[in-house]
Amino acid sequence: MSVAVGAERPQVVSHVQQALSYTVFDCKWVPRSARLLCLGSAARGTGIIQLYELHGARLELLREIEKPKPIKCGTFGATSLQQRYLATGDFDGNLNIWNLEAPELPVYSVKGHKEIINSIDGVGGLGIGEGAPEIVTGSRDGTVKVWDPRQNDTPVANMEPVQGESKRDCWTVAFGNAYNQEERVVCAGYDNGDIKLFDLKTMSLRWETNIKNGVCSVEFDRKDINMNKLVATSLEGKFHVFDMRTQHPTKGFASVSEKAQKSTIWQVRHLPQNRDVFMTSGGSGSLHLWKYEYPAQRCKKDSEGSEMGVAGSVSLLQNVTLSTQPISSLDWSPDKKGLCVCGAFDQTVRVLIVTKLNKI
Amino acid sequence: MPVWLREHSWRQTLTAVYLSLPLRGARATAANIFCSEQYLKVSIPPFLFEAILYAPIDDTNSTAKIGNGNIFFTLYKKEPVMWDSLTLANAAKEKLQHLRENAVLKAHEKAKEETEAKKITKQEHKKYALEATMKLEEEERKRIEDLKEKERQKVAKELELWKNQQKDGDTYKSIQKKGKLHQEIEPLKERKSEKMNQTRIPNEGTSKTRLKSTKGCPGSCSIFSQNLKEEQLPAPRSAATIKVNFTPRVFPTALRESRVAEEEEWLHKQAEARRIINSDLSELEDLKEEEKNPDWLKDKGNKMFAMGDYLGAVNAYNLAVRLNNKLPLLYLNRAACHLKLRNLHKAIEDSSKALELLTPPVPDNENARVKAHVRRGTAFCQLELYTEGLQDYEAALKIDPRNKNIEKDAEKIRHLIQGTMQSS
Repeated sequence: MSVAVGAERPQVVSHVQQALSYTVFDCKWVPRSARLLCLGSAARGTGIIQLYELHGARLELLREIEKPKPIKCGTFGATSLQQRYLATGDFDGNLNIWNLEAPELPVYSVKGHKEIINSIDGVGGLGIGEGAPEIVTGSRDGTVKVWDPRQNDTPVANMEPVQGESKRDCWTVAFGNAYNQEERVVCAGYDNGDIKLFDLKTMSLRWETNIKNGVCSVEFDRKDINMNKLVATSLEGKFHVFDMRTQHPTKGFASVSEKAQKSTIWQVRHLPQNRDVFMTSGGSGSLHLWKYEYPAQRCKKDSEGSEMGVAGSVSLLQNVTLSTQPISSLDWSPDKKGLCVCGAFDQTVRVLIVTKLNKI
Repeated sequence: MPVWLREHSWRQTLTAVYLSLPLRGARATAANIFCSEQYLKVSIPPFLFEAILYAPIDDTNSTAKIGNGNIFFTLYKKEPVMWDSLTLANAAKEKLQHLRENAVLKAHEKAKEETEAKKITKQEHKKYALEATMKLEEEERKRIEDLKEKERQKVAKELELWKNQQKDGDTYKSIQKKGKLHQEIEPLKERKSEKMNQTRIPNEGTSKTRLKSTKGCPGSCSIFSQNLKEEQLPAPRSAATIKVNFTPRVFPTALRESRVAEEEEWLHKQAEARRIINSDLSELEDLKEEEKNPDWLKDKGNKMFAMGDYLGAVNAYNLAVRLNNKLPLLYLNRAACHLKLRNLHKAIEDSSKALELLTPPVPDNENARVKAHVRRGTAFCQLELYTEGLQDYEAALKIDPRNKNIEKDAEKIRHLIQGTMQSS
């Protein structure tokens, strides 16, 4: 692991800090705007959605919406740019899609899971990628379900434990490989360290592995290309970067792992404008900015002649400690390079700007 | 006996006296010269020169130059008066002594004062140095802060610019859209009506309803374009399920590498505890795996009891007790067998043991305790120990007051007791 040199390092500048009166679980930029959403749970046990707009050096609250159940996660991934509907998963296992202009009734609603929806992702919207818009949810009941907003009540894909198998909590889900209308994969991370890759075109398990620590967050570097890299973060401060271009029949995908800190790495997010730069947020309230470097040769032949991937290396560009509590959510703005928002368990949401990203 | 140096020469002006003292081959250093206000002494053993000066001089400013086998004194007078002679003539011995002592004292004091002054200046110098370094560091820090602040402001300005661009872009786009749509609406409407005549696909159906419900709201213009795009989207996937197997894990908590060692140890201990450590009974080696399990044996015993094979049941329970003597149900059931076999004393023993193991008395083991009391009570009665029997029945009633059978039996026993008391 190498560290970038002095004055040319990207700096993480804290632009705005906003104290909230509830626990924030997820924060997301509204695409094509300077607005952001905070999703969370109020002390009285209800869900809160707050819409803020960035005005100079402060955040102005535009709208506050309260819902009966606390909200854990949300995504804009499966909606079109004109509609910008928000899909949320709540503590009760309900998947709802809201029109923020008229939030009294959801546009789509289903009680997808028996327990809390831990993670949600969307693909096919926002003008990115091709194919049907789909939403995937991963829940504590051990199942991962893929939904199509045009089909009510039943998921279009259901990844559930075999009959009689004791379930493990699914902590994170991510879409990937959606480069044409048919192809799509879902990657799911579980609390026993399992990472499973499901292929939705063939409806089968494509790959699985176990990284020896509960998986907190997985993300592909881009959803809408042939799958290139997958970053999986876990407990105990470790994360793994898998090279997804070459799959070996027995060894799977090549990976490089890094231990950044002692505490859990809660989230990983790739910079939308540069797929080799990503930020991890930690349980000690710190953020680390990393860059992945590709190896000289991305694949090589092993002793039997089958192709095997070669993992590159990861270097730390910058790290900064913003809070004493874990930073549980992180989102880059898709419109302005370097602008990101993070929400921490000290009930504050911070807007940060990362400078000098052009020079990487 | 010191050698006096007497060949000195001197001259004076109004303000100063210049004294030249040749040293006869002796080497002089500053330490050999002692001078106070009115007393001057040069002592280079064995040579000695001493002079009580005519008038006081300013000894701090006066100088002595040592060189060329000569000491040249420049003494500045306190009062600008011409002296008659260098030294005071006719000085009495006592006066001399007195003057000498005074001089020494004065010199001491001066020395002390000088050291004090030196200390103070040293401290001040240190303080100054400290303050200077602090200032430097402060400046450094400020410089860094300023850099950061500048960076922040620059970035904030860029952000504002970008935001305004977004806003402008949005309004521009919406104006454009409105313009375009006015042109497009007409042909679109035609196309829509065409499509409606064709066979309905569920996809279209939903889009149509959406059109209806949101007609008239400002988003309707986007709905038109949305519909167009929707017709190009593939149909929802056909539903399927993928069955998943997990890496097995005993604990419900998440897997952490740092805890793996502890967890392994705990599991190991549990396995040990469950294994049978009765190694001195050689028959146990002949037993099948299931016959070593006390629960299995209990079930066997229950089955045999139900079939009426009370001796077999007792055997089963015996073996089970040998394997695990902490299960109250074994004793309870064995007591029932003994009752049937009319081994009343053994029945009493077993019920007592069962009751012992069924402490603490909680609602969970109510059932078992009632049974134990009833069985013991029955045994007592059959042994004609009616009072003890009644005690047990009453205990059973206390636990389960609604049981009619126990009440009836308790009544019977009371009658019996009263009967025997009457008759005896």
